[in-house]
Amino acid sequence: MFKIEPDRSQYPAHNPDGSCDIDLSSGKYVKIWHGPNHPGITGNMSLELTICGDEVVEGRTRVGYLHRGFEKLMERRTFIQVFPIVCRVCVPEPDLNEYCYAAAIEELAGIEVPDYANWMRTLILEMGRFNSYMMYLGGQSGSLGMGVIGQWTTYVRDLMLDRFEELTGARVYHMFILPGGVRDVLPDGFAARMEETLKTAERYLDDVDKVMFQNAVFNKRTRGVGYIDPALFDSYGVTGPTARAGGATTDVRRDAPYLKYDELDFEPVTGTDSDIWARADVRRRDTRLSIDLIRQILVKMQKPGEYFAKIPNVLHWKIPYGETYIRGESSRGEYGYYLVTDGTGYPRRINVRGPSYTHAMALLERLIVNTNISDVGALMVSLHTYPPEIER
Amino acid sequence: MVEFFTTTNLGIFLLILGQSLLVVVPLLVALAFLLWGDRKIWAAVQLRKGPNVVGAFGLMQSFADFVKYIMKEIVIPAGADRFVFLLAPMLSFVLALTAWAVVPFNDGWVLADINVAILFVFAVSSLEVYGVIMGGWASNSKYPFLGSLRSAAQMISYEVSIGLIIIGVIISTGSMNFGDIVMAQDGAGFLSWYWLPHFPMVFLFLISALAETNRPPFDLPEAESELVAGYQVEYSSTPFLLFMIGEYVAIVLMCTLISILFFGGWLSPVEFLPDGIFWLCLKIVFFFFVFSMVKAITPRYRYDQLMRIGWKVFLPLSLAWVVLVAFFAQYGAFWGAYARWTVGG
Repeated sequence: MFKIEPDRSQYPAHNPDGSCDIDLSSGKYVKIWHGPNHPGITGNMSLELTICGDEVVEGRTRVGYLHRGFEKLMERRTFIQVFPIVCRVCVPEPDLNEYCYAAAIEELAGIEVPDYANWMRTLILEMGRFNSYMMYLGGQSGSLGMGVIGQWTTYVRDLMLDRFEELTGARVYHMFILPGGVRDVLPDGFAARMEETLKTAERYLDDVDKVMFQNAVFNKRTRGVGYIDPALFDSYGVTGPTARAGGATTDVRRDAPYLKYDELDFEPVTGTDSDIWARADVRRRDTRLSIDLIRQILVKMQKPGEYFAKIPNVLHWKIPYGETYIRGESSRGEYGYYLVTDGTGYPRRINVRGPSYTHAMALLERLIVNTNISDVGALMVSLHTYPPEIER
Repeated sequence: MVEFFTTTNLGIFLLILGQSLLVVVPLLVALAFLLWGDRKIWAAVQLRKGPNVVGAFGLMQSFADFVKYIMKEIVIPAGADRFVFLLAPMLSFVLALTAWAVVPFNDGWVLADINVAILFVFAVSSLEVYGVIMGGWASNSKYPFLGSLRSAAQMISYEVSIGLIIIGVIISTGSMNFGDIVMAQDGAGFLSWYWLPHFPMVFLFLISALAETNRPPFDLPEAESELVAGYQVEYSSTPFLLFMIGEYVAIVLMCTLISILFFGGWLSPVEFLPDGIFWLCLKIVFFFFVFSMVKAITPRYRYDQLMRIGWKVFLPLSLAWVVLVAFFAQYGAFWGAYARWTVGG
């Protein structure tokens, strides 16, 4: 069926529905729960593993520890009230949610966003992407027992959060991008302070290159592990850096430019090996790309102009019937918001397409079969999943 | 008075008890500060401050932790084998301390000056794996059991290469007594220590010592992101403290062994400075620093990779080295650098 299908000759075969008849009473297999309190797991989800010795025979993703009913909640709120919810869908990179939602509203309501606001949005999206990658690098090395990278990248991320605070007044949930534009202009001297932060970040990224990517043990643990066949990318909905690590050149920023990405000069970062190392490497280079893009944006940005379009009174805002799908490139893959409005003051339906859903549910269950139990954590982190995206 | 301590049974018992306390108490107090240093080094690498509240520079942190551990409730899992569950940490702790009976701190400063000292240390440190296995099994839990299984295989594999490396030193000295091994390295300062003739083996010994004491990059039994905490998962309060002290005592013992076997023990590195316990302590602290730095910046090997290194790389290398050293010693190669048994017993 799939080329990736691992050698299961010595284990029970999968049924057509994907389940697996394992006789636990035989004493050959042990069922263990990898999560949700396990330190090697990302966020609140868990894996139900059946192991034979050290080898994983069968794995199931179990989610539901973080279900807050976001999509249903959004249908009961006015358009502006939805706003504090969308950023909660992805904690480390909330800005893309804000952008996608705002862009969907603007398209359906026919609002023209000022040029300057678009530049600001591009800037804040890249800053958010940078933060998300910083968390990833720490997590990837932490999953292999190297805690030091996590501390370094957290420090750099903290510096970037200072810039966020200066710009938006908040550190984690910025709620800066509103339907119609952004909330404010750049503060005085922001570019200079940002440059300082970026320089520090580059210095630490150099250290990460040396300590993490040139480390013999790290290379040994990650090269050739967790291989995803590029032929599977379409059938499993693999996007973003995970797909680019396998040679695909899918990058929404390049394929379907939104905001000001068509005026920026960049090429999608790609890798070749499609293993854990390649995925980490693609993200490391993508972090550098984000730094480069932030610099470009700050140079190309015009002088502060109008940053907020005129929108109706938000308390009585009714949007006519329509439906739209807005997509953007998040640090984990293609992100999308499907919005349906029916002429009332409430959204009829909002569907969030988070890349973690396909990556962590279907793909991970495939990949963990026949891996060593030691690699499960690293494999899961390498797909860069955030559980709130899985159970919106 | 002297007669009482040397002839009567009670006197001899008291004498040995006093001597043991003289070794164990300074060792444990030193360990408290080494632990503090370990955490400080780790914190410094990670851009943190580390312990800095309790006492000046946080020096009393280990003692505060000690009090905290013994005041806590001992939680024993419902399905655990209570006797073995509590025996395991004690065994681990006692065996770790027992090995110090034959370790000399200065010329003649040794509790039991026996001629098979190396064998004794080796035997006792091999037994330490029982603490881990018993702890993992008695917890009646899946992750601890996986951790203890790994630990057993790991400690056995690396003990083999450590043993072979030590044989090289024994051949050069012609004695298994630590005092003799140190005295055999006396001569032209640091150039006559065994690190020079046994140069490649110093690194092998250091790496094997890391594996033997379950330190990163070989901390598979405790692998946090894989097995939560390995065999220690179900342990809390005092039993956990005993496990931890046992582990750190074993690490300091390994640092001491490296100092004695390859770096001249209490000998001073240059001719014009007097020998003394100070030098041994300095060397131990240096190697402990190396252990800490390795912990701070390395990721963890996978289980099969660890075994491959142990059996396919270290074992052949150390075995070949033993043959080479035996050859050198027999024919007095390199001006007798490998044959120093005239000083020994």
